[in-house]
Amino acid sequence: MIIEFKDVTKTFQLEEKARFDVALQHVSFEIEQGEFVCIIGPSGEGKSTILKLISGLILPTEGTITKPATVSMAFQSGALFPWLSIFDNVALGLRATHTPQHIIQEESMKYIDMMRLGEFIDKRPSDLSGGQRQRVGIARALAVNPHVLLLDEPFSALDPKTTAELHDDVLKIWRDTGKTIVMVSHLIEEAVSLAQRIILIKEYTVADTFPVALPYPRREQATEFMHEVTKIRKEFFK
Amino acid sequence: MKSGAQSGKHSGRTISKHYFRLQSLHERLYSILIGPLVIVLGLFFLFKFLGTGDLMIHSISPFKILWATGATLGRLFTAYFLSLICAIPLALLATYNSWTEKILLPTFDIIESVPALAFFPVVILFFINVHFINGAAIFILFLSMIWNIVFTVVGGLQIIPKDIGYAAKVFHITGFRYIRQIILPSIFPEIVTGSILALAQGWNLIIVAEVIHTYIPGATSQNDLFGLGSILVNASAIGQTHIFVACISVMIFVIALLNFFVWQRLIHYAQRFKFE
Repeated sequence: MIIEFKDVTKTFQLEEKARFDVALQHVSFEIEQGEFVCIIGPSGEGKSTILKLISGLILPTEGTITKPATVSMAFQSGALFPWLSIFDNVALGLRATHTPQHIIQEESMKYIDMMRLGEFIDKRPSDLSGGQRQRVGIARALAVNPHVLLLDEPFSALDPKTTAELHDDVLKIWRDTGKTIVMVSHLIEEAVSLAQRIILIKEYTVADTFPVALPYPRREQATEFMHEVTKIRKEFFK
Repeated sequence: MKSGAQSGKHSGRTISKHYFRLQSLHERLYSILIGPLVIVLGLFFLFKFLGTGDLMIHSISPFKILWATGATLGRLFTAYFLSLICAIPLALLATYNSWTEKILLPTFDIIESVPALAFFPVVILFFINVHFINGAAIFILFLSMIWNIVFTVVGGLQIIPKDIGYAAKVFHITGFRYIRQIILPSIFPEIVTGSILALAQGWNLIIVAEVIHTYIPGATSQNDLFGLGSILVNASAIGQTHIFVACISVMIFVIALLNFFVWQRLIHYAQRFKFE
């Protein structure tokens, strides 16, 4: 087990009033080393809060979280720094940890090549398409060699073709690196395409968990795939 | 189909590349030709207006006007750099959290609304006592400039996307490194905008800030600070229209040069710091 949430609750104090807004309540789950887990659920009911808690961006109000030291994240918006070149964006995390220059060069180029961005290293994010920017975000997250890779709805603003290409890229990264991947999505089909296990978050807590035992690559037209989607959809809309 | 789509994309990119190359060539030609032309024309008019000795007040030569321009620019830019150095930490402090925002922003708003010149007599007395009369003009310019930068930078800080802050935290960019590597580049476009507004405000005030004799009892124009502003006011007061026109022309010329060679370039450069 690499990540464990034990009865985690997160509340935010509302600025204008002296009251608290619940973001997560009594959430418990475990994620195994090397597992690909997808967190799905309706908007605004705590999916992204889970990623922020795992990454250490916020702390739980109650409960305990066990997580590894190095966790990295790719964001829905890409969150690239527009004034930096693609190479510098990818190398950013390594530079912050005072890694020697030759390792920064090697590691950054390794993931730039893995994400097929070699020809863009001197470009700026504004020169790239949405899909290419997401690839940069993923390469940047991988460059720091994290134990866990968090993906916060990274494909939500992309067209279906680019999304399908990036799904293949993410699965390849997962197979090649053996990293634990935790991804948030609002699409059941996307979760079934990628994840080994799907955690459904509803009303700020874990509503259900679905292991997906289908072999890769998964085809959306397959009967078993449709069966999985239908099963999860029932719970999603219940 | 695939290769067609790719080639279309490629040609689109090539066209845009050519367009930008042409655009930058055009800009380069513009700066190569227009810049020196403006300088030559400006100097021609300056020397034409002040070419004969009988038009001069207190033996002002065109060279002295250029020297006065330098003195005025020195005061303006000293005040500007002081404003910039103080404005950024103030803006950071004001947006640090919701409490500092609630307290400091209305406070800054009130201070900004008080006319800087209201303090001028006291400021002059203070700087006369410390034998640094230039400091009075610089301080008043500073007071009038700083809020333009503070409020523009506050606006810039408030629109930094949340994910940028999260990404910085995830990759352990914190403390001073966070300010240097994330905050300062993020607010660079607003620093440029604020600087343009601040300098414009400074040019407005320099005319008053250099003419300090009106604030000192019994003082004459001999007590004024030497600069474009004071020459302008004194030439106007004694009806030396030629001097007045020459000084105004020099002022417009310098402002145009600064705009062309500094601010336009910085505005263009700042585009790369903007979030989409």
